[in-house]
Order: sequence, then structure tokens, then C-alpha cells
Amino acid sequence: MATAAQHKNEGKGIGKYLAVYLCILALAGLQFVIAYQNITASQMFRRMFSVAIVEAGLAVMFFMHLWSEKRGFLLFVLVFTISVLLAMQYGWTDSFRLVNCGGYCS
Amino acid sequence: MHDMSAHAVSHHAPPQGFIRKHIFSLDHKVIGKQYYGLALVAVFVGMVLSWIMRLHLGWTNLAIPGLHLLSKNGAPGNLMTPEYYLQLMTMHGTIMVFFVLTTAPFAAFGNFFLPIQVGAEDMPFPRFNMMSFWVTFLAFVVLISSFFVGDGPTLGGWTQYAPLSAVGAVSGPGQGLGVILWATSIALFCVGQLLGALNFITTTLDLRVKGMSLMRLPLTAWAWFITSCMGLTAFAVLMPACILLILDQVAGTSFFVPSNLVINDQLQPHSGGSTLLWQHLFWFFGHPEVYIAIVPGMGIVSHVLITNMRRPLLSHRVMIGCMGAIAVLSYMVYGHHMFVSGMNPFSSLAFSFPTLVITIPATIIVLMWIGSLYGSKLRINAASLFALGFVSMFVSGGVSGFFLAQPSIDIMLHATYFVVGHFHMVMAVAAIFGIFAGTYFWFPKMTGRMMNETLGKVHFWLSFVGTYCIFMPFHYLGIAANVRRYQAFVDDYLQPLIPVHRFITVAAIITGVAQFIFLYNLIHSRFLGKLAPDNPWEATSLEWSTPTPPPFDNFGGKHPVVYHDPYQYGVTSSTGDYVMQASPEQVVSEHDEK
Amino acid sequence: MGQADLTMEGHSPGLMTGPPFAIPTKKLAMWLFIIADTMTFSACLVAYGFLRNATPDWPRPFHGMVNVALMTFILLTSSLTMFLGVRAAKAGDKAGALRWTMITALAGIGFAFLHIREWLGLISEGMTLFKNPWGTGLFGSAFFSVTGLHITHVIAGVIALIVVGMRYKGGRYNADDIEIVGLYWHFVDLVWMFVVPFVYLLNLAH
Repeated sequence: MATAAQHKNEGKGIGKYLAVYLCILALAGLQFVIAYQNITASQMFRRMFSVAIVEAGLAVMFFMHLWSEKRGFLLFVLVFTISVLLAMQYGWTDSFRLVNCGGYCS
Repeated sequence: MHDMSAHAVSHHAPPQGFIRKHIFSLDHKVIGKQYYGLALVAVFVGMVLSWIMRLHLGWTNLAIPGLHLLSKNGAPGNLMTPEYYLQLMTMHGTIMVFFVLTTAPFAAFGNFFLPIQVGAEDMPFPRFNMMSFWVTFLAFVVLISSFFVGDGPTLGGWTQYAPLSAVGAVSGPGQGLGVILWATSIALFCVGQLLGALNFITTTLDLRVKGMSLMRLPLTAWAWFITSCMGLTAFAVLMPACILLILDQVAGTSFFVPSNLVINDQLQPHSGGSTLLWQHLFWFFGHPEVYIAIVPGMGIVSHVLITNMRRPLLSHRVMIGCMGAIAVLSYMVYGHHMFVSGMNPFSSLAFSFPTLVITIPATIIVLMWIGSLYGSKLRINAASLFALGFVSMFVSGGVSGFFLAQPSIDIMLHATYFVVGHFHMVMAVAAIFGIFAGTYFWFPKMTGRMMNETLGKVHFWLSFVGTYCIFMPFHYLGIAANVRRYQAFVDDYLQPLIPVHRFITVAAIITGVAQFIFLYNLIHSRFLGKLAPDNPWEATSLEWSTPTPPPFDNFGGKHPVVYHDPYQYGVTSSTGDYVMQASPEQVVSEHDEK
Repeated sequence: MGQADLTMEGHSPGLMTGPPFAIPTKKLAMWLFIIADTMTFSACLVAYGFLRNATPDWPRPFHGMVNVALMTFILLTSSLTMFLGVRAAKAGDKAGALRWTMITALAGIGFAFLHIREWLGLISEGMTLFKNPWGTGLFGSAFFSVTGLHITHVIAGVIALIVVGMRYKGGRYNADDIEIVGLYWHFVDLVWMFVVPFVYLLNLAH
């Protein structure tokens, strides 16, 4: 019983996956470089978050083979997960506000 | 193609012996009945708690005989202390929301009928299914056990707002061990429901028989599928929140406790947490949860109404789309529970808008029921009456939602009985009516015997009128500024409202007693009811193609083949005005939406 | 009415033409579990970020990054070995699949060892769940709960790898099961990709 994923993977060497692995490793290294830069915490967070998203995307798409699954499944997983994750972000304004009172007290 | 599908995992041999058959059973039907039994026990416990509260609210100085047996410290001389009132309120809310409104329409009916409606022999992971029930059962035992430890259960309300819930025994009786048991129970409950949701989604997607395309699934199956998608993500957020709460209680962390907090004249040793964080995490679960309670009811009510009015809904697809839209929006509106929490006022705006938007699919659903009912010859029986009752409750309670969705009005009404009336009608009683409709409708299939229709109708009218008598006055009380969560009304401006409270109390007791008619009907019919034919309601979906009650593998070692959309009523066929999904008979239908 | 006029088929084909996503049900269940687990981890990370934003005296105590770099390297590499194990299993190379699975489990044990050693080091410096020498006690709460949740997943993953590997060797499980436990392992790795920058690197002393 062969899935669509297998059909595509067969014949291809390990080279592609080694490249993915090296990419992820390089991006992980990049995180450490960013950590030693002299920038504000929010700038640092933004850069690190973007890099982490790319890393995670590579891992999900290639190591977890989501890219070679049916498009319907890829959409189901991504749309479902990301929409719920986005809805989780409502609370942030409250976290900032507690520190600087929204700029009303200093 | 097939050996990779769930065939391999779904097969298990029929069980031998009492324990395997009835207690640690892998059979989805037995597990469904176990869930139903758990919900039945829980609903009567919750109802008795509400009686005690109502009696206290109506006659504050009334000694309730035997109350000291429930709690020695909470009711000295059978007189309720204010703390004990709050403990009862917390337990009433927790038991009802988690162990009744989530387990009965979703876990109980879903377990029993989802696999049959898709034509499967069982769920793909029967062991997970069994674990799901027993973990939920354990959660219930842990919750109930808090009545019997130390100074009783927690008094923090079912929402368990921090910091009251996170600082320990200093904040009141039951706030130490009681909260720990509460949070443990809810974390366990989350695990149980996650296991259930995994099974429900995989059953719906992978175990459908030949011909059962997604659009041919009955609306109940769709409702359970959508609900389990919500449950999968919502419970996964509540579980870590409960664990962080337990850490705050036992490990000295202060996730949810701000610094320099003084409670009962004692400075708390905590530092730097955020009380709003708990509310954000809790309501991120909490709002999808109310739809987890109500969406299965929508499915059941549609299913029951369609069968009894002998015509499909105006549009099958729009109904499914609306339930899906409600599920998606449910994650974006959770902050409307927090308008008065001190949340950023700009977030209130951002939550208010989707809250008003979510009324659109809800309204479409209601209009679809009413539009389909218009001009139909509805068969009146206990099931269809309760389905109509659901529609009525949902509309009556939903209308007050328009008020509460707007922050400027909600600020006035939030801490009053208006909110209590609103959510009891739209979510609690409506979902309970959905459970009743499902019970009267499916009881013949579940047990092989018919329920008594006359008793069912009496039960309906008493419940229906009683519910309006209880919860409609709540709205008036709220507009008259009657604050909620108070154990007694001693302020001058509340004195004129006490007769209303007494009226509500009497109505609650009468309505509650009426539920024993249902209990009698349920037990009596289970053993002595008239034997049920295979398809007593002349319905079309697959559960009515099985023998009654369904054998261990549902279809007797065979797989049905599906030829039709789920609701082929009002056609001319050899069986009458309907054709079953698994019947190959070709009929001319006006309802095909292809 | 009743069953008489309904078509039924015997045991053989039964199901619809195939599951809609064309993956085994077990694998779908693992994906669903991963979606749920994503929410659990996100809730913890959101809680951590929320508290960090709301706390002015958030400490940044980490000096060396060698240990966490080594841990990251081990975990990322274990993803590659896991991939090789799944690949071997799919190709029918039973010995290879078993070997790579066990190497992955060993890498997981190495990761857990380094992580627990780091924990013990921090504890000996005076850091607990509710206080630490550097600033708000929330730092320890957040650090230990987020990394604790992750290390729990790693340990569970190691056990799962060993159990599935052994059953695969004994013939009870097949290549699909190796792939499914592999999905879980990659997910644990994926979570670490977010834990490292947020919990470690953002708290690096300057």
C-alpha cells in the first residue's frame, strides 16, 4: 500500500532531505547570531519569530511530509491550526498595557 | 486502497463476560450509554444544588432540613452560610456545563450514533474511546469528592477567576484543596474529551461506508464533527491553564496572582502574575465550549424536526455552513465574556464586532428551521415538541445576546441576573431540550423499547412553561439591577424584587419535580416499555437500518451502501413517503441539492 | 420497512472508495493530536510571553549558550535520523529502520540528559519555580513550565520510540507505525525551534 507521499519520495535520494536538514541547522544557528546582536528585545523577537516560522515550516513540510500529502489535507491542517492560533493572539494588548498603563501613567 | 484504512483498527471481537460487556466495554454503543448515565446522574445532582440555592434566595433565613449533612461548616443549624451558597453555585455550574451539557449531547449521543450514521462498526480507536469515558468518570468523581474534603468545594464560580482561585485557602473555604480538586477534575475532563474528539473526527472522515459522501452525512453527524473540531483545540488550551492554576496553588508560582495583593488583610507572597491571563486562557476555551454544548443540539433538533415534518430543511448545505461558521467565529468572540474585566477597551470593540457577526449564522439556522416548518404537517410527539422547545429557547435566550454583545450595554448588565437568564435559556436549557428531543427520538433504537408518549408530552409542557417561568423573570431582574452571585438581597432597592425571586423558586421546584416524570418514563420504558420496531419514526438515516437495538457490530457483519441524501422525505416510494439512505430504490425527489 | 429492502454488502469492500485524505486513520489521529498539542504548547508560550511583557524587571540571566546549542543540534539531528528510520521502514529495510529508530531514541536520551543537567545547574544557582536570584520569580515559573512540558514530551517520545521499535521488530507494528511515531518526534523537535529563541535566547544576558 503506497501513499501519494511515497510515490513522490521514491526515486529521489536523500540529498533533498539532507539539504533541508542543513537549512534548518543553519537557521537555528542564525537564531544564536541574532541573540548576540545589539538590538531591542522586540526587534530580536520579531527576527527570531520569523526565522522560527521558516524552520518550523521546513520541518512540517518535508520531515513531516505535509508537502507531499494531498492538498486537501495540507489545507485542512494549516488552515485549522493557523486560524485557531491567530485567535489566541487577542490578549497581547493587555500584557503591554499592564506595564505602561497604555501611556497614561509614567 | 482499503487495508490502509481503518478496517484493521476497527475490528475487535464481541466481548465476553459482564465486565467486558457492560463496564470496561470497547463498544461505542455501551460507551455512549455510559456517558448518558453519567450525564443523568450529574444533571440530577446539579438540579438539587440549584434547588437549595433557589430556596435560599427566596427565603434567606429558611433552615433547610438535612443541609448540614452536605457540609458541617457550610450550614450550621441547617442555615446556609454565604460561602456555602457560592460553593453550591460553583458546583452547579461546573457539573452542568462540563458533565451534562458537554457529555450528553456530544459524547453520549455522538458515541452511540455517529458510527452508525456513517455506517461503521465502531470507532477507529475503541480503547481510546473507553479511556475517554473512564477518564471523564474519574474527573466527575474527583469533582464530587471535593464536597467531602476539608471545608468543601471551591467557591470561585465555574470560571474560577484568578486571583481568588490562585492564592489558596486564605481567600475562603474550599479555595485550597477545593480548587486543586476542581482544576484536577477539569484537566482530566479535558484529556477525556480530547480522546473523544480524536475518535469522532477520524470516524467521520475515514469510516464512512460506500456512497456516504460528506454531503450525505445527516446533520447530526455534521454537528458532532464540527463540535469535535472545536473540542480538539479548546480543551487543549484549558488543560495547560488548569495545570498552571494547580502550580499557583501548590508550587508557589504566581502566574495568575499580581504582586502586592492583599486578601483578608494578609499580604500575599506572590509576585508579578496577571489575573487577566487566566481569563484570556479560560475564555479562549470557554466560548468554544458553549458552542460545544449547543451545536450538537442544533444537529439533533434538525434531525428530529426533519423526520417529523417529513421534509428536509430548506438547505442542507447552508445549515452545515452555518454550523461551521459558528465554530470558526466562536474562537474570535471569546472576549465578550470579559467586557468588565478591565481588559483593554479597544479589545472590547474587536470582540464586539465578531460577536454581532456570529448572530448571522445563528439567525440563518433559526430561520431555516422556521421556514422549513412553515406549512409542513408536523407530527406532534414528545421528540418534536422538545425540538420546537429548543427553537423557542434558542430564540428567546438569543435575543438578549444582542444586548450583551455591545460593551456599552453589557457593562450595565454583566453583573446582573440578565446574563444568568440569557445563558441559561440560550445555552443551558436549550441544550437540555436538545438532549430530551434526542432521548425521546432515539430511545427506541438505544434500548429496543418505546417511551411513553403521554408522559413525554406532560413532561414537555411542564418543562417548557416552567422554564419560561424561571428564566424570563431573570431578565427583568437584571434590568432592575439585581446583581448576580449574591447569596441574599438585603439592599433596599432589591427588597421589592424578592417576591419575583420567590416566584422563580417555586417555578424551579415544580419544573424540577417534573423531571422525575422523565426519569420514571426512562426507567419504566427501559424495562417494561412497548417493544420498538426497527424504524418507528419512518426515518431515513442509517441508524434506522439496523436491527433494534443494534447488534455488537451494528449492521450484522455487513456494510450498508448509501444511495441517497440523508433526508429523502415527501417522495413516493414503496415504503411510503420516504426512502432510506441505504435503499437502492430510485425515486424522483425534489430535494436533491446536487 | 426494515432491513429487507436495504442493500448490504458483505465484509469485503464496504468502506467508501478511500479516506478523503488518503492517509491511514492512525496517521490522521496523530496529526489531530499534533494540532491539539500545538494549542497546548501555544497556550503555554502565550502565557509566558504575556507575563514577560507585563513584567518590567524580567531577568536575562543566561550567559553561555553552548549547552542549549548542543541540545538543539542533537534534537535537530535526531529529526534527520528519524527521517532515515521512516525511509528505511518504508523501503522494507527492517534492520535499518530499527537501527535509526534506536539512534533517534538515544539522541532523545542524550537531549534529556543535557536538559536535566542544565536544570540541576540552575536549581543549584538558586532558581526554583517561584524565585531566583536575578529578578521576578515568574522567570523560573515560566522557564520550568515551558521546558518541563517539552521535556515531558521528549521522554514520552523516547519511550514511544523504543516501544514502537521493539514491536516493529517483533512484527506487531509495521512501517506506518514507525512513520506515525516519527511524526510525533518531528513535532517535539518543531516545538523546540520555538522554545529555544523565546525561552533561552531572548533571556541571554548582554
